Amino acid sequence: MKPLIPLLALFLGGLFLPATATADYPLTADSKPQSGVPKGTVTQHRWEQSQIYPGTVRDYWIYVPAQYDASKPACLMVFQDGRGYVNEKGHSRVPNVFDNLIHKKEMPVTIGVFVNPGTIPAARPGGKSRSNRSFEYDSLGSRYVTFLIDEFLPTVTKDLNLVDDPQARGVVGISSSGICAFTAAWERPDYFGKVISYIGSFTNIRGGHVYPALIRKTEPKPIRVFLQDGANDLDNLHGHWPLANQQMAAALKFAKYDYRFEMGVGGHSGQHGGALLPEMLRWLWRDYPDVNQGTEK
Amino acid sequence: MSCSLIRLWLPGLLIVSSFAASLPLEAQDMPLTQVLIDGEDWQSVSKGHRFTDGLTTDSEGNLYFADVAAGTTINRIGIDGKLIAVANDAPRISGMHCGPDGRIYACQGGSYGRIVAFDLQAGKMEVIAENVKPNDLVVTSDGHVYFTETAKMQVSHIPPGGKVQAADVASKTDGAQRPNGIALTPDGGTLAVSDYGGRHTWVWRIAKDGSLGLRQSYITLRTPSPDLPSKGDGMTTDAVGRYYVTSAVGLQMFDPTGRMGGVIAAPTNKPIVSVAFAGAGHQYLYVAAGDEIFRRKTKASGVEAVRPKRKAK
Repeated sequence: MKPLIPLLALFLGGLFLPATATADYPLTADSKPQSGVPKGTVTQHRWEQSQIYPGTVRDYWIYVPAQYDASKPACLMVFQDGRGYVNEKGHSRVPNVFDNLIHKKEMPVTIGVFVNPGTIPAARPGGKSRSNRSFEYDSLGSRYVTFLIDEFLPTVTKDLNLVDDPQARGVVGISSSGICAFTAAWERPDYFGKVISYIGSFTNIRGGHVYPALIRKTEPKPIRVFLQDGANDLDNLHGHWPLANQQMAAALKFAKYDYRFEMGVGGHSGQHGGALLPEMLRWLWRDYPDVNQGTEK
Repeated sequence: MSCSLIRLWLPGLLIVSSFAASLPLEAQDMPLTQVLIDGEDWQSVSKGHRFTDGLTTDSEGNLYFADVAAGTTINRIGIDGKLIAVANDAPRISGMHCGPDGRIYACQGGSYGRIVAFDLQAGKMEVIAENVKPNDLVVTSDGHVYFTETAKMQVSHIPPGGKVQAADVASKTDGAQRPNGIALTPDGGTLAVSDYGGRHTWVWRIAKDGSLGLRQSYITLRTPSPDLPSKGDGMTTDAVGRYYVTSAVGLQMFDPTGRMGGVIAAPTNKPIVSVAFAGAGHQYLYVAAGDEIFRRKTKASGVEAVRPKRKAK
């Protein structure tokens, strides 16, 4: 028996990973380029005209699927912390996922907008630029979604034909931009009907820990939410990420939202969320017109 | 960026788990434990005053303060702990800051209504600006003076050798309703002002010519209850860019991206109205709490520790 004990410990270790270990959530074929699947185009730009966040500069990218036909309106998904999502070696590799799922008709023809948080460049010699990420992403209220709806998206998508329907628009983010994505839809469900949050910071960075309480005592909003977190996510001065995400899921359940919650064993990284993204998208778009039914796994 | 590699050997199976290098999603978390030292509490360093205010320091770490209510002197607590008066005939001083020329710039309120600069060695005082209602001030490393005029809802600016100008005026619906404490980031590029009558500490980018722009409610303070203001008052920053704001609930600390790190308890039940890093290595937080000055040792150090030398003269 004795020789088995270390083996058993190793085996259990694989099932119940200690806090120091990390789980492995490999990307599936849906997140990798596939032969015979048409590739969309990705272009990079810079935005520095914000009046809502004066003085900020930020990079953004636009993905246009190969199937896009300017005579037919397309859906829209907006990714905060966009660089991480559009990066072809990043946690999610969204252009590959969109190429594959649109090709299989598991999601509609969808434009991807990937936007970074703002930075305020220094003006004086020797000055340091100031990050506006926490102010934009962690703050509750409508300021960020107003930035998206009123000034950013109309300009960067002005040459694109888009569906004017909240169910045709999704908003996505990770960590602070995860709560930001939820806030955007919470404040403007008339605009965003779909939300994805990876390792969302529903903690007290700038008051976001109140969402479970707000959700329970607010008439349900027409938003569909996919939350992901990991048991080894952060536990710090702002809060405990796994508990906060469980509170969010419990509140969404209580208020009868159309939601899903995937709790893995990972830490504060986009790995599990990235691996889940194709499934998240299939679930979010499952009943959209002309999307193949019954392919959700 | 850390990258860990975990290998688990199982019979006939090699599992290689490579953790994708985490993106720098969050700035470094800055809890109070990065600043406070276990067992180091507030200690009284001077008492018997009436209403202390205007804490500031020089490059050596001497602490300067005034007694707005009763005093007529500028007081100094040296790094040796000794208290002396370094200027007489200086009543109604509510805010002070050591300028790059070594003079102590000060807000003189009440019927004086002026900004003055003390050359302590020469025993001389120069009037820098008159007909103002200053509360607190800072001086940049190139000699721009910024001060709050609380009742006017205004931040004012004096360029080197120039005249007073309004740098920012709040409206009743936007901006600091009662601008009070004032501080600079270590790089001198951002000005921050607390709002005694509101919930935020506001920031501006300082332009090349010293003008203020891009006002933002960058920092949100904890308030005693949702319908009460923060009573944000005296401010300082530390060498890594953290902000410290005295308030109704204690000394609030924020990281350089504006996220609260925590609330440091005030030493007594009396309101704290001014804060500065001073003492050896500028490693001690000093606060003015009514009739008494307290200090506690920290793991942080003040901006003076990384600024060009400002030795009071």
